[in-house]
Amino acid sequence: MAIAVLETTTPAAPPSTTRSKKRGSLGGVILWIVLFLLIIAPVGSFLILGVSPRVFQQGPQWFTLTYVRQAFSSYFGQGIFNSLWVSTIVAILSVCVATALAWLIHRTNVGGRRLWTVAMWLLLMMPTWMMTLGWGDLLQPFGAAQALGVNTHWIYGEFFGPMGIVIVLTSAALPFAYFIVSAGLQGLGPEFEDAARIHGAGPIRSLQTVLPIIAPALLSALAICFAETMSDFGVAFTLGYHSHFPMATYMLFNAISSFPANFSVAAVIAAVLIISVIPPIVLQSRVMRKRSYAVLSGRTRAPRRRELARGPRAVATTAVAGVFFVALGVPILGAVIGSLVKNLGIESPNGVHFTLTYYAQIFKPSIQGDSLGAPLLLSNQLGLVVATGTGVLAIILARRLIANPGSWSQRVTDVFLLGSVAVPGVVLGVGYIFFYNLGFISHNVVSLYKTLPLLMLALVANAVPGQTRFMAGPVSQIQPSLGDAARVHGAGRMRAWRTTNLPLMSRVLLWGWLLTFTKTIAELAISQILYPPSQEPASVSIQSYLANFAPNTGTAMTVLTLFEMLAVIGIALSVYRLVTPRGWRRVGFSGVQS
Amino acid sequence: MSETARRAVGVSVRDLAKDFGEKRALDGVSIDVEPGTFLVLLGPSGSGKTTLLRGVAGIDRPSSGTISIGGNVVVGGKTFVPPERRRLAMVFQDYALWPHLNVRKNVAYPLATSSLTKEDRSRRCDDLLERVGISHLSERFPNELSGGEQQRVALARALAAEVGLILFDEPLSNLDADRREQLRIEIATLTREAGATAIYITHDQSEAFALADQIGVLNQGQLIQLDTPENIYRQPATAFVARFTGIAGEFPVHVLGETSKRRAEVSLPFSSGYAIEASTMEKIAPGADLRLFVRAAGVTLAEPSHDEGVCGSIRDVAFKGHGYDHVVDVGDGYSLTKIYSSTKFERGQNVKVCFDTKSCFVMDSSREAKATW
Repeated sequence: MAIAVLETTTPAAPPSTTRSKKRGSLGGVILWIVLFLLIIAPVGSFLILGVSPRVFQQGPQWFTLTYVRQAFSSYFGQGIFNSLWVSTIVAILSVCVATALAWLIHRTNVGGRRLWTVAMWLLLMMPTWMMTLGWGDLLQPFGAAQALGVNTHWIYGEFFGPMGIVIVLTSAALPFAYFIVSAGLQGLGPEFEDAARIHGAGPIRSLQTVLPIIAPALLSALAICFAETMSDFGVAFTLGYHSHFPMATYMLFNAISSFPANFSVAAVIAAVLIISVIPPIVLQSRVMRKRSYAVLSGRTRAPRRRELARGPRAVATTAVAGVFFVALGVPILGAVIGSLVKNLGIESPNGVHFTLTYYAQIFKPSIQGDSLGAPLLLSNQLGLVVATGTGVLAIILARRLIANPGSWSQRVTDVFLLGSVAVPGVVLGVGYIFFYNLGFISHNVVSLYKTLPLLMLALVANAVPGQTRFMAGPVSQIQPSLGDAARVHGAGRMRAWRTTNLPLMSRVLLWGWLLTFTKTIAELAISQILYPPSQEPASVSIQSYLANFAPNTGTAMTVLTLFEMLAVIGIALSVYRLVTPRGWRRVGFSGVQS
Repeated sequence: MSETARRAVGVSVRDLAKDFGEKRALDGVSIDVEPGTFLVLLGPSGSGKTTLLRGVAGIDRPSSGTISIGGNVVVGGKTFVPPERRRLAMVFQDYALWPHLNVRKNVAYPLATSSLTKEDRSRRCDDLLERVGISHLSERFPNELSGGEQQRVALARALAAEVGLILFDEPLSNLDADRREQLRIEIATLTREAGATAIYITHDQSEAFALADQIGVLNQGQLIQLDTPENIYRQPATAFVARFTGIAGEFPVHVLGETSKRRAEVSLPFSSGYAIEASTMEKIAPGADLRLFVRAAGVTLAEPSHDEGVCGSIRDVAFKGHGYDHVVDVGDGYSLTKIYSSTKFERGQNVKVCFDTKSCFVMDSSREAKATW
C-alpha cells in the first residue's frame, strides 16, 4: 500500500516532539527571566540587606544580626507584634462571617442574592484606605454622621484604635474568604447534607457535618485573609498612623522614608512579613493539593438551595444586609456625605451646610495647585496597561501551574507563586527602589529608576501572583476533553482555545481584568514609593490633599475615583452582556468564585 | 461504490509505543483496520486502550511507531499531524459537550470549517438531531440534559462532519443499564449507516461482542489477540483473553491424550476417573498439567439421575427473567458460576454438570505472551 505523508513539510504542520519540547523549554526560560526581573531579583536583593548589608554597599558588615535586633526593638517590634495579632483576629473573624454569608447566599433562598454577590465584588475592589477615610468622615466630631443628626462621639475614640483597624481589615478580608468558601460550597453536592438530614441530623448538625468537608477551603481562606491583612498598607498608612497604632508595613515604609533610609531594618521587617504568611499558605496549599478541581464540564449540576420559611428568610436577609452595610455601606456613605458637607469636622454656628464646592475644586484647585484630572487619567492608563499585562502573564502562568501536575516545573511554579503571594506591595516597592537604583543595573542594564515603566512593572509584579492563583482554579476546572473534542472535530489550536476555553473563562478573565484595573487605580503602597516626580497617580494625589489641609477636597476626590471605578465596572459588564452570546454568560461564574 | 463505502478509511498502526515517564502504556502495538470495519478494543483499566485511541485521534503523541489513516501517515518519524487535520470524529467518555453552546451549536461545531452553505449545515444538523431522537432539545444547553441525551448529542456531533473514522472512548460507561443497551444499538446502527470505520474502546466484553466486527484484546500495553468476536470467544489466544471474555470456571487438569486435531481428553481434579474432551489452542503433549477454562454457555445442568456429567451441588441461584443463573459447587473447593438453566434448581440440590467440548479450552496459563495470528 502506498502511504502518503500528510502535510509534513508545510509550515502549518505541527512541530515534532523534540521541537515542541525545545520551544516549551525556551518559553519557560523566557518566562523565568521575566519573573526574575519582576519579582525575584528586586525582592531577593532587598531582603539580603537584612543580614548582609555589605553585599550592596549598604553597610560595613558581610553578616550581622544588628538589624534583626533593631527590627524587633521597642518601636519596630511593636509594629510587628501588632500586625501579627491583628491579622490573626481578622483572619478568624472574616472566615466566620464569610462562611455564614456564603452558606446563606449559595445554599438558601435568602433575599437579594445577586445584589450581595455584586456587593462582595465591590468590597473586593475597594481599597482599605478608602474604607478608612469613609469611616473617619462619618464618625469624626462634626462629621457626616453628626450632619445627619447621629451622635457618634462615643465611638469615635474607639474607632481610631485597634477596634477600627480590625473592623476595616475584616471588611477588606471578607471577600477573599467569601469567594474561597463559596467555591468550596459550590463543589459540595447536596447529597452530603441530605444524607445527614436523612440520618437524623437537624439543620445545625447537618451544617456541622458538612463544614469539615470544606475544611481545605476554610483553611485556605484563613491563610489568605491572614496574608492579606499582614501585607495591608492602606490601613497602616492612614488609620494606624493617625491612631498611633504602629503596624509592620508602615514601620517598613517609615524605615526607608526616614533620612538616612535604613534599608537593612526595612529588609528584616519585610522578611518577617513574608515569613509570617508562608506557614499558613504552605499548609493550605498542601491540603488543597489533594483535592481535584476538574468539575466544570457539560455535566456540571448546581447544588440545591434550602428554602427558608418567610420569618427565617427575613431574619437572614436582614443579617446579610447588616454585614454589607457595615463593610461597604458605612464607608461609602461616610465618604459621600463627607464630600458634600461644608467644612467637615469643624463646628459651625450656622449649622450644617451641604455643598458641591469640593467637587468643583477637584478640577480647579486653589490650594494644592494640581487638579485630579491628570492623576486620575494617569491611574486609568496605568490600570489599563497593568491589568492587560497581568492578565496575559497570569493566564500563561495559570496554564503552566495546572499542566503536567506533579512535574518539576509545575512544583517550582507553584512554590514560587505561593511565596510571591506572601510578598506585600510595600516590600515589592522598596525592593524596586533598591534593585533598579543599583549602579550595576542602572548603568549597565536598564535605567528605570524614577520612571513610569518601573511603577508599571512593580504593579504588574504585585498583581501577577494573586491573579494567577485566581485564574488557576477556573482554568483547572475546564475538562481537557472539551479542548480535545474541538481539535478532533476540526478546530486548530487557536480556534479550539477561542471557541471552547475562552468562552468558559470569559467571565473570569473579565472579572480578573476589572479586579486588577480597579486595584491599580486605587493602589497606594507601591504608588507612594515609586511614583515618578510630577507624575502622581490618583491615590497618591488624594493622600497628598488629605494630608495637606484640604481633606474635603481629598474626600471628594476619593468619592469621584470610587465612582469612576464603578462606572468602568458597569460599562465593562454591560458591554460583555451586549456582545457575548448567551451561552458564554451561562457558564463560568462558579469558576470566578474560586 | 456507494457514498458511504467511499467515505470509510482504513487505519494502520505499526509498532506503536507510548511512555509516560517510566511507565510504558503501549508496547509495540500493530493493528490494521479495514475501511468500514467496526473495531472494538477490549481490555481492563490500564491496558492501554485509551492511550491507543488518543494516539489515533492525535490528542497524545506516541513515543514511537507509525499510524496511517486512509493511507496517509499521521504519526511516524518526525511526522505528527494534529487532530484537526486527521478528518475524524470522536465520542468522549465524559461526552465533552461545550457547556456554553446549546445542543444545535454543539452538533454544528464540526461543520463550521466545511464548505456547506448555512442552510445545508442547518439541514444536516436538523437531520442528525432527528436521527438521534433529540430534535426537540435543540435549544437546550448540556446541563439541562440527562446523561443519555448528552451522549446522543455527542453521537450526533461525531456523525455531523461525515468523516471516514469515528472513535468511541467508552461512551456508555456513564449510563445506566437500560440506556446503555438502547444507545449501544443506536451507535451500532447509526455508525454503520454512516459507513465510517469505527474504533470503539470498552472494558465490557458483552458490549464488545454485541458491537464489533473485530475485537482487539489489550493487556498491559500489548495487543494480545485481534480477531472476530466468534473466534475470540471460541478460540481465545491466551488464558487472559479467555478470562477477560468471560468464563464460568477454571481448573487445573491433567492431559490424558489428544483425541483429534485441536482436541484433547483431560481428567478433572474434582471428579476422579471422570474425563472430558476439551478444545486445544495448540499442540499439547499427553501427561502435561495445564488449565481448563470453561465458558458458561458450555455447561448444562441435569437431574442427579442423568447418566452423563459430574456431580455438583447448587450453592446459589439467581432469577434472570428468562431463566436462572446458578453457582454450582463441583467438589474440592471448585465451583462454576453463571450456569444458565431455564429450570430452577434449588439451593443445596444435587445436580449433574455436563460440559460441551467447544466451550472448554485447555491452555498453559503461564503463557501470556503476545499471540501471533
